[in-house]
Amino acid sequence: MRTAILLAGMLLSSTVLADANAIGYVKTLNGEASITTAGKKVKAEVGTAIFQGSQLKTAAKSSMGITFKDETVMSFGPDTELTVDEYLYNPSQNKLKLGSKLTKGSLNYVSGVIAKLQPSAVTVTTPTGTIGVRGTQFAVRVEE
Amino acid sequence: MMKTGIKRLSALALVASLVGCANSYVVLLPNPDGTTGKVIVTGKKGQQVIDQVSAAVPLDGSKAPEAISGDKIQRDFGAAIAARPLIPERFLLYFKSGGADLTAESAALLPKVLKAVSLRPAVDVSVIGHTDTVGDKEYNRGLSLERAQFVANLLRKQGLKVHALTVESHGERNPLVKTPDNTAEPRNRRVEISIR
Repeated sequence: MRTAILLAGMLLSSTVLADANAIGYVKTLNGEASITTAGKKVKAEVGTAIFQGSQLKTAAKSSMGITFKDETVMSFGPDTELTVDEYLYNPSQNKLKLGSKLTKGSLNYVSGVIAKLQPSAVTVTTPTGTIGVRGTQFAVRVEE
Repeated sequence: MMKTGIKRLSALALVASLVGCANSYVVLLPNPDGTTGKVIVTGKKGQQVIDQVSAAVPLDGSKAPEAISGDKIQRDFGAAIAARPLIPERFLLYFKSGGADLTAESAALLPKVLKAVSLRPAVDVSVIGHTDTVGDKEYNRGLSLERAQFVANLLRKQGLKVHALTVESHGERNPLVKTPDNTAEPRNRRVEISIR
């Protein structure tokens, strides 16, 4: 996977993309975490791709950081579950959306270009309330 | 005796208020660039806006923002904050009119671009070309792609190593400065490089 991305990256000559649907990548990892996309679960490693619909999970005593294409940065503490429900990043056509759902654990969030261009397009939903993001860094914790 | 009773009561009240929000909450932190934004929480019990650093509200929106201690932030979010990747960097390179030649100032930025790339694990980079509105849209789509490819090739020649690279062309549709059609605008003749 990684080699394929690198190769395609080197051979790239037009707008054809290596992993056109990737919306972000794992950048930091401590301990154990997993990424589940369309029912397929993979062990997270630095460089693992994230897609729309991916479910991200960290184990006990673990943490993970993700950077998205629009420069949104999310990092998770232990025992955390977050799903990226909607992700659209196409500024030239004004298609912008970042909707995620935190069901448990802790999340540190630094908003990116989507929040800058269209603040109302960015939300984090939790079991008890929804967070609207206006260009900022915040931290959110969900305890069951 | 009386004093102790009051202390005990207020301690009880504190515990009750913590249990009340079940410790599910959001706290505003300063932005990496030092500015402060805001978050809006809409919950089952109300809506709250936080615009002060270190102020927190329960996720059900039941209480107004209240400052919490650095110790509590560290206890609840230390691991998540420590796992934060490096904040992405963005560079803008500008072109001389009509072609794919960088201005001298922009050519001089390339070493900084490569440095920012080398600092990041599993770095993914987007190179996005843009034009001003001189000429027709199709021509500009081609020109902005040419500019983006030119910059991507330049970076490769200088030793660019990436996990993933995308080259995009936005033509004249995504200007930095809005102008009427057929307007020469140096600030719109650019390639953006997003390094993540």
